[in-house]
Amino acid sequence: MKKIPILYLNSILIASIQTELTDEEVLSFQSELLKKNNKLMAKGVIIDVSTLDVIDSYMAKVLGDLTTMVKLQGSAFLLCGVKPAVSSTLVDMGMMLTKIDTFLSLEKAFNFLTSNDRKFQ
Amino acid sequence: MDKNYLNQVDDIPIKCTQDIVISRQKGRELARKSGFSVSEQTRFATAISEITRNVLTYATEGDCYLFEKTLDGYHMVIAQIVDHGPGIDNPKLAMNDGYSTGNGLGLGLPGAKRLVHELNINSMPGKTLVEIIIKGRVYR
Ligand SMILES: Nc1ncnc2c1ncn2[C@@H]1O[C@H](COP(=O)(O)OP(=O)(O)O)[C@@H](O)[C@H]1O
Ligand SMILES: [Mg+2]
Repeated sequence: MKKIPILYLNSILIASIQTELTDEEVLSFQSELLKKNNKLMAKGVIIDVSTLDVIDSYMAKVLGDLTTMVKLQGSAFLLCGVKPAVSSTLVDMGMMLTKIDTFLSLEKAFNFLTSNDRKFQ
Repeated sequence: MDKNYLNQVDDIPIKCTQDIVISRQKGRELARKSGFSVSEQTRFATAISEITRNVLTYATEGDCYLFEKTLDGYHMVIAQIVDHGPGIDNPKLAMNDGYSTGNGLGLGLPGAKRLVHELNINSMPGKTLVEIIIKGRVYR
C-alpha cells in the first residue's frame, strides 16, 4: 500500500499527493492525516494535488469529508494545485467543492496560513 | 485503407480498486495518443473512473474494454465497461443527478455523461454494458 508522506512545518501539516491512489489508500491517508493532526494540533492542513490527473466523485467526496473533519478538529483545511483540466471536469460533473478553501499553489496556501494579517479563522 | 475500422486496444479486468486506476490511466493514454486535448483526456479518464467503480460497488467484477474507431471522418475512442451483476434497476432514474441506491453522491453516471460525447447504457439482470465515447474530426 502506497503511503503519502505528511510533513510538519511551522505548525502546518503538509501532504502532497503525487501518485494515483486506490480507494483504500485514500482512506488510509485520510485516517493517518486525522491521527497526526489530533496529536499535533496543527494551525492548518494543506493538501497539494498539483500532480493529480484525476479527481473523481469518490476522491471529491473524501476531500469534502476531510475538510469537515479537519475543521472539526479546529484546524484550517486548504487544498492547492488543482489542475485546470481537473477543476473544469469537477464542475461539469456537478461536484461543487465550494466548502473547500483552495489556492493556486502550495506557496500561496502556506503564506496564507503563516501571514499574521490573515482575515481567517 | 479501410476508413471504418473498430480496433480493440485493451481489455482491463476489473477486480479491485487498483484496476480503476489502471483503467483510467490506460484510457487517458489512448486518448492522448489519439490526439485528444489534455482536457478531453481528463474528462474521459474521470468518466472511466466513475463507471468502473460502479462495477465494484454494484456488481463484483467486470471488464473495461478500450477501442479505437474511425467513421465518417471522425476518430473515436471508446470504453465499454461490462459486468455480470444484478443490472441497473431503472437506468433512466440512475441518470438523474443525486440518485444513488448506495451511499455515493449519485453523480457517477449523469456526471460521466456530461464529460463525454456519448454515454450508452444497456443493462439487464446478469449483464450491464456502459459505453462512453469521445470523438474528434479527422483532418486528413
Ligand atoms: N454496474 C451497475 N450495476 C448495477 N447498478 C448500477 C451499476 N452502475 C450504477 N448502478 C445504479 O445506478 C445508481 C447511480 O449510479 P451513479 O450515478 O454512479 O451514483 P452512485 O454510484 O453514487 O450511487 C447506483 O446507485 C446504482 O443503483
Ligand atoms: Mg457511482
